[in-house]
Amino acid sequence: MHRLTVHLLLVFAALPAASQTLPADHAERMKAGTALFQKTIRPALVSSCLKCHGDEKIRAGLDLSSRELLLKGGESGLAIDLASPGDSFLLGLLRHEEEPAMPPKQDKLAADLIADFERWISLGAPYDKPLLEKAGAAPVEMQITESDREFWSYQPLAGEPAGQVDIDHFIQAKLKEKKLTPNPPADAHAKVRRAYLDLIGLPPTVEQLKAGLAMSHKDLVDKLLESPHYGERWARHWLDAARFAESHGFEQDYDRQFAYHYRDFVIKALNANMPWDQFIKWQLAGDEIAPEDPLAMMATGFLGAGVFPTQLTEKEFESARYDELDDMAATTGTAMLGLTIGCARCHDHKFDPIPVKDYYQFLSLFTTTIRSEIDLDLDPVNYQNQLQKWKPAHDKVIAELSEYEARPDVIAAFDNWLATSAKTAIKSDAWVVSEILEATSSEKATQLTVSADGFVLASGKAPAREVYTVKTAPIPPFNRVKSSTQQGTMEAFRFLRIEALTHETMPQKGPGRAGNGNFALSHLEVFATQGAERKPVKLTSAKATHEQNKGGLSVASAIDGDPKGTGWAVDSGGIGKDQAAVFEMSGVVPGAALEIKLTFGNNAQHSLGHFRVSFSSENDPPVVVGGGTSARMQAALAALETGSLLPEHRKLLFSIFAKTDPEWLKRNQAVQTSLNQKPTPQTEKVQVSSEGFPPTKHHADGRGFPHFYPKTHHLNRGDVNQKKEVAESGFLRVLMRNGKTTGDWVKNPPPTWSRTSYRRLSLANWISDVENGAGHLLARVAVNRIWYHHFGRGIVATPNDFGLQGTLPSHPELLDFLARRFIASGWDVKQLHRDILLSETWQQSSSAAPEKVMIDPENQWFWRFTPRRLEAENIRDSILAVSGQLDSKLFGPGTLDLSQRRRSIYFKVKRSQLVPMMQIFDQPEPLASQGGRPSTTIAPQALFFMNNNQVVDWARSLATKVNTADEETAIREIYLRTLGREPDSAEMSETRAFLAAQSATYSHQPSTPNHQLSTDNSRQLALADLCQVIFSLNEFVYLP
Amino acid sequence: MNLPSFYSRRQLLQTAGSGFGAIGLASLLAQEGLLAAGAVDPLAPKKGHFEGKAKSVIWLFINGGPSQVDTWDYKPELAKMDGKELAGFDKNTGFFAGSVGPLMKSPFEFSPRGKCGKMVSSLFPKLGEHVDKMAFIHSGHTESNNHSPALFMMNSGQPRMGLPCVGSWVTYGLGSESRNLPAFVVMSDPLDRGLPKGSAANWGAGFLPSVYQGTWLKPKGEPIDNLKRPAHMTDLQQQRQLDLLKKLNGQHHESRPGEVELDARIKSFELAYRMQNSAPEAFDIDREPEHIKKLYGVGEKSCDHFARQCLTARRMVARGVRFVQIYSGGMENQRSWDGHNDILGNHSQFAGETDTPIAGLLADLEQRGLLKDTLVIWGGEFGRLPLSQKSAKPGRDHNPHCFTTWMAGGGIKGGMSYGESDEIGHKAAVDKVHVNDLHATILHQLGFNHEDLTYVYNGRRFRLTDVGGKVITPILA
Repeated sequence: MHRLTVHLLLVFAALPAASQTLPADHAERMKAGTALFQKTIRPALVSSCLKCHGDEKIRAGLDLSSRELLLKGGESGLAIDLASPGDSFLLGLLRHEEEPAMPPKQDKLAADLIADFERWISLGAPYDKPLLEKAGAAPVEMQITESDREFWSYQPLAGEPAGQVDIDHFIQAKLKEKKLTPNPPADAHAKVRRAYLDLIGLPPTVEQLKAGLAMSHKDLVDKLLESPHYGERWARHWLDAARFAESHGFEQDYDRQFAYHYRDFVIKALNANMPWDQFIKWQLAGDEIAPEDPLAMMATGFLGAGVFPTQLTEKEFESARYDELDDMAATTGTAMLGLTIGCARCHDHKFDPIPVKDYYQFLSLFTTTIRSEIDLDLDPVNYQNQLQKWKPAHDKVIAELSEYEARPDVIAAFDNWLATSAKTAIKSDAWVVSEILEATSSEKATQLTVSADGFVLASGKAPAREVYTVKTAPIPPFNRVKSSTQQGTMEAFRFLRIEALTHETMPQKGPGRAGNGNFALSHLEVFATQGAERKPVKLTSAKATHEQNKGGLSVASAIDGDPKGTGWAVDSGGIGKDQAAVFEMSGVVPGAALEIKLTFGNNAQHSLGHFRVSFSSENDPPVVVGGGTSARMQAALAALETGSLLPEHRKLLFSIFAKTDPEWLKRNQAVQTSLNQKPTPQTEKVQVSSEGFPPTKHHADGRGFPHFYPKTHHLNRGDVNQKKEVAESGFLRVLMRNGKTTGDWVKNPPPTWSRTSYRRLSLANWISDVENGAGHLLARVAVNRIWYHHFGRGIVATPNDFGLQGTLPSHPELLDFLARRFIASGWDVKQLHRDILLSETWQQSSSAAPEKVMIDPENQWFWRFTPRRLEAENIRDSILAVSGQLDSKLFGPGTLDLSQRRRSIYFKVKRSQLVPMMQIFDQPEPLASQGGRPSTTIAPQALFFMNNNQVVDWARSLATKVNTADEETAIREIYLRTLGREPDSAEMSETRAFLAAQSATYSHQPSTPNHQLSTDNSRQLALADLCQVIFSLNEFVYLP
Repeated sequence: MNLPSFYSRRQLLQTAGSGFGAIGLASLLAQEGLLAAGAVDPLAPKKGHFEGKAKSVIWLFINGGPSQVDTWDYKPELAKMDGKELAGFDKNTGFFAGSVGPLMKSPFEFSPRGKCGKMVSSLFPKLGEHVDKMAFIHSGHTESNNHSPALFMMNSGQPRMGLPCVGSWVTYGLGSESRNLPAFVVMSDPLDRGLPKGSAANWGAGFLPSVYQGTWLKPKGEPIDNLKRPAHMTDLQQQRQLDLLKKLNGQHHESRPGEVELDARIKSFELAYRMQNSAPEAFDIDREPEHIKKLYGVGEKSCDHFARQCLTARRMVARGVRFVQIYSGGMENQRSWDGHNDILGNHSQFAGETDTPIAGLLADLEQRGLLKDTLVIWGGEFGRLPLSQKSAKPGRDHNPHCFTTWMAGGGIKGGMSYGESDEIGHKAAVDKVHVNDLHATILHQLGFNHEDLTYVYNGRRFRLTDVGGKVITPILA
């Protein structure tokens, strides 16, 4: 009976909506209901219900994954009652009025939330989309709806507020609402100290404090913002968000030796007050936006800063690359937009309107982006200046040479030379160097480059086996000038020479590409082509300057018909030296072009690195390296013979004639001397993320790791073994407004540009577009980060998550006001700092009146300045500074040497060897983007202050700086240097008592060879012990 | 301001006298009001989702990938097929696609051991005595055939770098019972054979706050940084420093009542001082009586180093340390159980280094009543192939499809086997156990629903078992 009822009810519930009369306000109710669903119901269903009711199991037959299934109810009947929402069974379970109380074994959901459920049911319990894609059911592609776009962070910024408003206006309005009053301003002393620590991360020196107290707060803020140390402190926050490190992580954790340039970029950009939109765009596509600017190239280090395995097996190549693309996309999302794009890798984002489709389209933007190490001139302005200085003098000598060459008397002399001496002056070699039209390898990894004078150079990673094909220009009827008295005769070429040449880019200088510099030419074939005819040329009688042996590695074995087993090789005395092999050809007719195929099939990577092809028509041409007349010279000589010299022939012959003219030689020498003086750019290796540069060397290169795949695919469940169609590049649809689509931001590279795809440049356009793109969110996230690091709390408390799982802004109007102002100022970061520091909000005292603490213990409404512990870097840097140890050199490679004295940002960030002190004080692991750091208080931090050798050394250093005859003066000075104030009388007496007791015990201690204790010495030790205590004080390590 | 010194020797001795052992320091500290700072103390003891059977974990990480068919997974069929090619074998299963040999029987003899009669390899003469305490899981499988991703998988549940490891999750979930020692300690090979591949990331906290990362005990010199008073100073002199610090901080704090963090920081120095005085004692295994040292094999050339680490592990858990991980072997190849060459020699060596110490550890934990709430885990990052890897002396290559893990103590049923590999030990076949399942089981024994131990980071609620994990209930006592 009961069962029957259920079924009957189901029938009603499942009636299609169209057959019922819809209430007049249906559309509004659905809209409100959907908004509520997205805001609170969906997160609650996903986190508390879905696992047992729809995802892994369907407990009690109740499936909550879609509206249809919810309406069906479960084994206990209907879950919700649309007619009488308050009586819904689901609500009873949630209120723990019905059994079993839901969610099981957990506290009741918050009353507010249960009320939301009731309201949601009363609005018709709409879903914007199912919570899960069910197998069997046709997958519903997630769409971005208008209600998705209504979530606050995807909305455009609120309009300009009316009237004259500032930060304090918004903060104080909220305080009033919460029945709180702002704290009075902090005292002048605390403000100066706070400004120093907040803006540059170092405490003021005694003199700076004095000067700071004497100037206005505004002047002090301006002065500190101009300090180069400002960038050093604020860069660190962005480096956390950028998961910056200088090693790969994983197995061997290889160093990324040139990754520090990215850190320097961040510091330099902040110090130079680079507009934030440019700062962001350069990190994504500086190599496309401003490839001539080294800073823009350095900026691209952002994309390649993530972890990457150092050891890969073939099975892991592709998934590792997808992980790398994910790292780039996810970090771009969290660091720049506060969006957790990475969550849509396996399925549509559970909370935010980011379909899995958008994820792969976004991933596709980075398809061809790889890490490379390139040579960059970091000071191009200097180079240009030097070039400008050099150029006029150079132009002058060039002009002098050209003028001379154009003089009628010189031309007459040349004509005379052509008529009388040219033929004897030009010695024609037995070998004619072929003009090569094309040289290719069978393997993609190899590039063959042909120089104007006929040399072929191989580059790229040598593949295991390959075949080179070399095509020559048609060989002109050969007319060799044997001597001035002899007429040339038309002869066909009878010999082929292949010179195997050394080159500095080859292992052991070559001539081969194998690790030992060897090669093995296993098979040599020549074809003569003329018109459509292509005939093999028979090769016989091979000779060589050197052969590895007389058997399988002899030169003869290159033409023995065996393409794999045997071949000409040159080890055993021939490595690092130029070599040549000569073969006799038969059947080559004048006018034919030759196609030469060189097969290297005998041994892995044993191909030729650098070579030249020449021909001879002599009977027994010498088997030597070098010499050779170019084919062009041959042609010029032939033209001279027939009296048909063309301008290019004259030019070539002039270059021979000129060498006999002392005046020309003199002027040419002046040009050469000037060329030698041409300034060259001073380059440094820089790690960049770009396209088309050679990839940074990788451990798995030997296994054929491709570094990237030309296409990115949509994947099923994030699995590279379940590829779907190719993913076109695209941006996040929820952040495209006014009907715009990806194409509206796409910019194609100009015809002169082919190295990169401009996909990232298009991304940079979209992300910073305040009209129709992601620009408003970009600005919100940026100002929130800066606010966060000034106050220890963001307006949005989750700086890396502005999505539905993040917290809502405590002061949404303020956030929008700041973001709008930020954009209007030209993304002026320092102006934002200035606005914040000059606000009354920032200048409030930190005192905590109990009645205010009662209302707002976490100070989320900013009724005071929250005192907070300095971050790891600033603790160390402050101690170094006050103890006179700080080396304030900026930029350059970092170090792992713990005793280094530069600011902590210059520690090299090696993932397997993080600096212990930084770790103890909460520096996060640089593995994925971090928006904020926890501030923990743990015993190992105290042990660091108590026992660390460096702390002891720093304390001793400070003690020597203040060692005066008078103890009270010494104590006073220690206080001033560290805390910026004089000790009060209680402190004076406590510290004096300590010094007395401590030095008494030191003077009684037996001296050891290391510690020659005298009275002076014991007092010195006691003073150092005092300094150590002062470093450990809360007052020293907390922002006042 | 004339407060009595917190650091009087008498009081310290009292602390030392009552603190070690069953009472546990948490209650002691609670009495003294030190846990009032719990709001900002990320390591304060916390409750799990339910009362777990295990309070601590000792994880013997058999680094490099021990061969299941040469240790605990007896395969008579493999012996019959010795020398035969394995048809259809994917040459990219292991690391070296170019040196795949035929099937190879185990070079070790197997014999029945314990009451349960488990067939055990001759590699483990002593450990074989303890099979009645162990539950063997023969059907483990993982997702990578490469050391570091597989190590990350085993330690953090995913073959990627950057996720919190098991020890960090557990410390995050339960806090620490020991205020004098780190909650989570890791010991690596002390014989200069390197760290496991991926090194510190294997005990990293990932996106969890860095306080939850494992404390690596340095194999040489002082095991923990900053634990020793500066050399030039006497205890009295340091106490005087701490007294002054307390007075000055107190004065500062007086004008800022209610600043919990400042108060916690003052107290952290008191905790630190205690840690400094008691932690070295915990590491000092020379205090152990001779018969105990002998039980572990301390002083035996082949296994002294591992014996010391096992003994240290017992001293740690006895003092409330939550999670101890010891790596047997260093990096790869001959430096760990990574027997690519000479499986006979390689496994003989590393089994020889660990057989007596682990047997001693199990016996000692049991005789002290500690085994019941200490979960002991033995296993590596993957198994090895039943085929030979061609070499002068044949070895075995990596095998992600099958490995054996055993657990003992901490509410685990002894003398049983769960899951089966196929008849040659190539792939897990019956009741397959994914790494997530092992983790779910470990968390369960400590009192967690693995699905509910979560941490929200960058918009996502993360858990150790990602979207998988099933507790292996048949092995639970």
